[in-house]
Amino acid sequence: MAERPIFSRNRCTSVLKVDDRTMRSTCRLQDTLTDAEVEIDVRLPDLEIVAVRSGFKRTMGDVCREPNEALQKVIGVRVGPGMLKIIKGLVGESSDCGQAAFMVEECCHGIILSFTKETLMQAPLGEELTADHYGEMVRKNIRLYNRCAAFAPGSSMVEGIEPPQ
Amino acid sequence: MLSFERNKLVHVGRKDEATLHVRGVLSDDIYSLEIEIEVGLADLAIDRIEGKWHRWTTPECPRADAFLREALGFRLEDADFSQKVHKIVGRKSCRHYANLLLECAHSAKEASRLLAWEAAKADEADLKLDAFLKGRAEAPRSAAREPGRAEAGEAPPKPSALESKAPSPRPASGNGQVIDLHVHTHPASSCSSAPVDEVIQEARRIGLDGICLTDHNHVWAPDQAEALRQRHGFLVLRGNEITTEQGDMLVFGLEKDIKGIILQRKLRQEVDAAGGCMIVAHPFRGFLVFGVGETGLTPEQAMDRPLLKLVDAIEIMNGKVTVQENEFAAKVAAGIHLPATGGSDAHEVVEVGKYATRFFDTIRNEQDLIAALKSGACQAVAYRKEKGLT
Repeated sequence: MAERPIFSRNRCTSVLKVDDRTMRSTCRLQDTLTDAEVEIDVRLPDLEIVAVRSGFKRTMGDVCREPNEALQKVIGVRVGPGMLKIIKGLVGESSDCGQAAFMVEECCHGIILSFTKETLMQAPLGEELTADHYGEMVRKNIRLYNRCAAFAPGSSMVEGIEPPQ
Repeated sequence: MLSFERNKLVHVGRKDEATLHVRGVLSDDIYSLEIEIEVGLADLAIDRIEGKWHRWTTPECPRADAFLREALGFRLEDADFSQKVHKIVGRKSCRHYANLLLECAHSAKEASRLLAWEAAKADEADLKLDAFLKGRAEAPRSAAREPGRAEAGEAPPKPSALESKAPSPRPASGNGQVIDLHVHTHPASSCSSAPVDEVIQEARRIGLDGICLTDHNHVWAPDQAEALRQRHGFLVLRGNEITTEQGDMLVFGLEKDIKGIILQRKLRQEVDAAGGCMIVAHPFRGFLVFGVGETGLTPEQAMDRPLLKLVDAIEIMNGKVTVQENEFAAKVAAGIHLPATGGSDAHEVVEVGKYATRFFDTIRNEQDLIAALKSGACQAVAYRKEKGLT
């Protein structure tokens, strides 16, 4: 399709286990307007954010004048359910810190997904076995029921499972 | 060695004078998916959206593709755009699609800014991008407060003498007085679908002795609660669920209306000044696919969390967490000798009373409740199960 390119973005989030007690999640953003990096250190097993670092090497227009100062407010927050609301509330939704706050969220998602990956590696292969396995997961954690299309009524993942009451 | 990596690529092109074409790809150690959207430049609304899964965890993940159409018509610059994407696309379709859609949407907005700059250069050939964008940022804005930070509003009128005329509550019998301490109602809590009158009717039907209205960052006025008590002849107590940087707290006895996020220690000061009490709600709520145990957290380690030194009680039975997470909370509460409470965290009528708290003293009002919670004269109960109602 012939079209005029205007903007492109590349975002990478990576998670590293630094030592037995520390995980480090780094979000790097490179796009037409911005080159930035935000990194958080999270202490195990509580998943508490113990350090935040940021650097905005290239940016245009409105940008958080003191991104690092604003981001320090998330120190002490635990990566967990409800964290997005807390991060947005602490860092603020003003446009100049919005990208920095989003990058902290991305770092937190990376931490969660690293654990999710470990758990999912235990799932059996084979479609029928997979449906049973995930059905069992839903029975153990009913929050999964109707949490997305894959676990919505009508899906084989929740066949035979009563909706939570 | 990296334990996880996620990459997202987004390209925005101008399809024609009126339309942006955005293509986004997300690929990480678990998932791979892509989205294409078309955005009208006039209103920055999503005119077309398609998605495709390439690598997934369950064979049913591709079901999410059809539900992407829920985003049609969403305007990128609406204040609630992000919230709608999370709540509607994230729930009906898939949270990973929602994440990529937000990335695409933000990129489209950046692209529209670049196009606006190009258009502005028609009048001012030397206009630099940086100056143009700063000029737009410094344009007068409404004097709105920074959203999300806590604001302590004016306190509503103090409870009037009307409270003393409330129908007499059922006195605590040998079995105690059972009250659901954690209930959300519509429309006070936007996440609840349970009208308050129906919640109270259900609570009466199943034999509860009372409920606490603990809507998110919402202060029920004393006369509203009194009207409910009179209308239903039922004990209705006022509380509030307030989000701190340490999680959600159920607060009783605090009349101040607190919006946004407040530091837990500041909330503690407010609660102390008001003579109220604070319960940490669902303190060990885990994730969708794994729980706190998978991170290696033990009850002994959890007992050292500083936040537990600032609360009067721990909610060890909550209707929205798993049995294991409730058991974990119970171990922690026992280990540090904090009173333990139960509450349904109901967001729908049928959820009321799943869990509750049994009190051994008669509870007539919030002051009695606060005194009982602080003294620990209470016990969390799986009420519906106890009554054979599940």
